[in-house]
Amino acid sequence: MKTEEQRATIADSAAGSRTEAPVAENRGGIVAPDAIPAEPGRAKTRPLPASVLTPPPPAPSPRLDDYRDIIGQAQVDGLRFLARDLKGKSIKMVNSTAVGGGVAEMLNRLVPLLSELEVPTHWDVITGGNDFFEVTKAFHNALHGSSYELTKSAQEIFLMYNEQNRERLQFEEEMVVIHDPQPVGLIRSRDKTPASWVWRCHIDLSNPDARVWEFLRPFVEQYDAAIFSSQSFARQLPIPQYLFYPCIDPLSEKNKELPDSVVQKVCDEFGIDRSRPIVTQVSRFDRLKDPVGVVHAYKLAKKYVDCQLVLAGGGASDDPEGAAVLQEVKEAAGNDPDIIILDLPPWCAFEINAIQRASTIVVQKSLKEGFGLTVTEALWKGKPTVAGAVGGIPNQIIHQLTGVLVHSVEGCAFQIRYLLTHPDFAKRIGASGREHVKENFLMTTNVKRWLLLFRILEEAKARGAAR
Amino acid sequence: MAMADEHPVRKPNKPFYFNTSENLLRIGRQKAISVFELWQALQTCPDDSIFQHTFRTLQDHHFIRQGFSNDFAHWCLSACNEPVLAEQLASVDVREFTDVQGLRRRMVGIVDEFLQQHPQSGTKLAHEPFYFCAASIVVLPTQFAPDTLPGFVDGLRHVSLHSIHHHFIEARLRLHRMSNDFSNWLEQEVGLTQAAESIERIDIYTNTMEGVRHQIATIVEQALN
Repeated sequence: MKTEEQRATIADSAAGSRTEAPVAENRGGIVAPDAIPAEPGRAKTRPLPASVLTPPPPAPSPRLDDYRDIIGQAQVDGLRFLARDLKGKSIKMVNSTAVGGGVAEMLNRLVPLLSELEVPTHWDVITGGNDFFEVTKAFHNALHGSSYELTKSAQEIFLMYNEQNRERLQFEEEMVVIHDPQPVGLIRSRDKTPASWVWRCHIDLSNPDARVWEFLRPFVEQYDAAIFSSQSFARQLPIPQYLFYPCIDPLSEKNKELPDSVVQKVCDEFGIDRSRPIVTQVSRFDRLKDPVGVVHAYKLAKKYVDCQLVLAGGGASDDPEGAAVLQEVKEAAGNDPDIIILDLPPWCAFEINAIQRASTIVVQKSLKEGFGLTVTEALWKGKPTVAGAVGGIPNQIIHQLTGVLVHSVEGCAFQIRYLLTHPDFAKRIGASGREHVKENFLMTTNVKRWLLLFRILEEAKARGAAR
Repeated sequence: MAMADEHPVRKPNKPFYFNTSENLLRIGRQKAISVFELWQALQTCPDDSIFQHTFRTLQDHHFIRQGFSNDFAHWCLSACNEPVLAEQLASVDVREFTDVQGLRRRMVGIVDEFLQQHPQSGTKLAHEPFYFCAASIVVLPTQFAPDTLPGFVDGLRHVSLHSIHHHFIEARLRLHRMSNDFSNWLEQEVGLTQAAESIERIDIYTNTMEGVRHQIATIVEQALN
């Protein structure tokens, strides 16, 4: 448990306003937002209620049957049928971190579900020194398009740690899945195993630094298959490339169903008025998420329709650029009391869930995006969603059918106005958006894709052996 | 609405085996960044790419009642801003085809004619490329293998929508005739000719797949009664 002093520090830090935070009236442990005196010309980050100041305990992993009410018995049965022929065969997943980040979060749910289906799945994490992770971080940025001077030393560090891990790890499973570039060199163990080797790339390779990609490519080409999160992220490779969309877990804190009373309580804690329309963007305070553009769009829309804007995010307390963006957002927001800015700690999944559910419209006006899982979360909650047509968002939002795509502040403002004044249309695209997620972007669909891939590779192996 | 069948309902000689199919999407090597490139790629892409972007995508978007027919039409509208071409491509009913080659020829023909009439539209760059994909398909059994009509309706109501798509839409590529597995079984095994015809006439483009399921079940129940 944290001390009160530690809690206070976290509260100040999380709110990104340590030097500015005024003494607020405390109502039953919740800092009342209306007690904050507004600084002329600049909005305040709302103080956080005490309930969010410490991380909640981890929730237990769901069982397959827990998903039955969501995807239906037929789909659960389908997963069991798919797994039946793979019974006893095993999978190894290898990545570079056990906690934090989307890949670890996904593996934490995927591994138990595959094992429950009697496809034992082992998860190993590679080890390395700071020098290795500095190199792989630089590789990551370079593969996303940043320029990078690939030195001989960086190559040697990368190869040395891959060799160390190769010697340490055993590969006795029928399918080995290597996640992302950090452990890509483990493929050198391929000849010692009968396994099918798969490279699962979670990052956007559409515009990589050529030197880094040319260094990694010979490794990738030795795999039996590669998997990408979007068609546009893939490269021309001589091996089959599959499309696995990222996914959300409908039973996680971020996405599980919540009673209305719980949603109301969270809104009360943050000073969000549910009697009036709520437009929300959930994202880090990052320029690529364009939170300032969202404020401008809201202000344009508000000339015509009454609404509040909630900007719920994080990253301002541990990232200097995030803090700067938060200041820009506050300046853009000005004195408008209907703009609610929340700088939340990373463990506030439950509160984000409630805020998304309380929202009338969800916006994700990104200028550049990976896949955009906040869009997936909003669609899953049946929310009419307005989003930038970038990255993986068009895979999720079919314009006018499962949401609306926008390309500018003005377009975003118009769509907010339109959706707020056409609730039937908003409801219809919200419902279609939820179905689209149910079909394509849930954890159970991801389990199905892994089982299908395993079957396809096993069949290919059997055909090869027969020849 | 199903009319009463003139022939008596008979006990089926063999059960209806409800199967389902699952697919894994492969990213293809071809892409198009203009209508002209689409026309070129449509002629050379693998059959399973044509299948994916027409038959399969209907399943992927089974919950949309109107406004979505195939990926080519959608891309021509959303990425190329060519509503005329989009409407023409969208008007193609995949159920008119019993092989992919015929469907490919129709698609190529539509784009070809459009390019002749609107040559300036051919090389205009799209907002985003069209990536040709294809699906690896695995057909799986389900627990439903009814040998009575009430059992058939029960299975119909419980199988996944993927199973409905497999038997109702994809079947014509397997059967190579203008029919579907449900109508085929009802006609050949049970003697419900008119119910089989009514089912074949269900409009898949103005219904969700759930709506299709409901209509098929209703037609068979009416025939039963």
